[in-house]
Amino acid sequence: MTPRKEPDAEPLIARDATYYRAPETLRTRIRAAVRAEARERARPMMWRWGGLAAAFATVALVSWNVALLQGGSSDEDRLLAEVSTAHVRSLMAENHLNDVASTDQHTVKPWFEGKLDFAPAVTDLADAGYALLGGRLDYLDSRPVAALTYRHRLHVVNLFEWPSARGADAPPRIFSRNGYAIAHWRRGGLEYWAISDIASADLLEFAKRLP
Amino acid sequence: MTGLARFEQTVLPHLDAAYNLARWLTRNDHDAEDVVQEAFMRAMRYFDRMKGGQARPWLLAIVRNTCYSWLEKNRPADLVGLDDVGPLASDGETLGQASGTETNPEVILLQSANRKLVNQALEELPVAFREVIVMREIEDLSYKEIASIAGIPAGTVMSRLSRGREMLRQAIESRMRRAS
Repeated sequence: MTPRKEPDAEPLIARDATYYRAPETLRTRIRAAVRAEARERARPMMWRWGGLAAAFATVALVSWNVALLQGGSSDEDRLLAEVSTAHVRSLMAENHLNDVASTDQHTVKPWFEGKLDFAPAVTDLADAGYALLGGRLDYLDSRPVAALTYRHRLHVVNLFEWPSARGADAPPRIFSRNGYAIAHWRRGGLEYWAISDIASADLLEFAKRLP
Repeated sequence: MTGLARFEQTVLPHLDAAYNLARWLTRNDHDAEDVVQEAFMRAMRYFDRMKGGQARPWLLAIVRNTCYSWLEKNRPADLVGLDDVGPLASDGETLGQASGTETNPEVILLQSANRKLVNQALEELPVAFREVIVMREIEDLSYKEIASIAGIPAGTVMSRLSRGREMLRQAIESRMRRAS
């Protein structure tokens, strides 16, 4: 905030007028557009002419670009970027969120069968205020992963799971990236990444409630 | 830190300020969203040129330019030149200088004006006056910042503010009289 440098000689009249705050949808849209623009610029010239090819670029390619953008940052930084990109992308348009839409964990879990080389843990936490919305396949850390979606009040939580190559169980750690809260933990041989625009304390609570 | 990360940390936090200004200049939610998105794309393109300056006035200058281009194209009637703004109805009358103390009946009247009334009156102000009042009173920017955003001398900011407030006061008063 800029401090007032001069007192106003006259009474303030519009003080009570509305301060219009940007709608959340605009915030999400701009964040995504800014990232897309940055990706576009990080992409080698040759590909910019790809036109259609670029439009159909594989998720792997996108991940690679994100990695490029992050410029040799650590593993964790790269995953934080991948997770937040995947989250934004899932919210960008209708039907990006779920491949299987169901609040029933016994419908969602079997849907992954034959699509992944591991069995993701699928838990409904409706009682705790996190209603299962469904699941989809996503691509993170250079492999297909399970993405489960939850609704907490008006907010969407994405929970990504994939087999860990990194070892022992680790309790949830909270990160913040582009205004999103991100939680990462490792349990029973699976990597878990949860992300949402809810308060980090709430996300931590969510992480702890998962078995 | 990458350019993207720097942009996200320094410019994105001013999204509300950008939207507020665009909303007041376009007077419409949908148009404000389009303008703000366009302004952010421009801001990204010119981000290298921001140097170490303050992000908020820098971004708002881009938002303002984008708004004006948009108005020129879509609502040219909104961009009435300053010369075309006629004399105030009460120029030379007694309204003159408000004392600024709450014993002044006008000020008491204005203080009780509700938000809706103020909003409507402000929306109808010519854009050149509306923008300085929005930046000063709602966005809390300094004269110097407003001058750099609008590309006008600080003295002009002050005179437009003063004139704009006078017009706004009259607009609110006449609305209140009509209402009662």
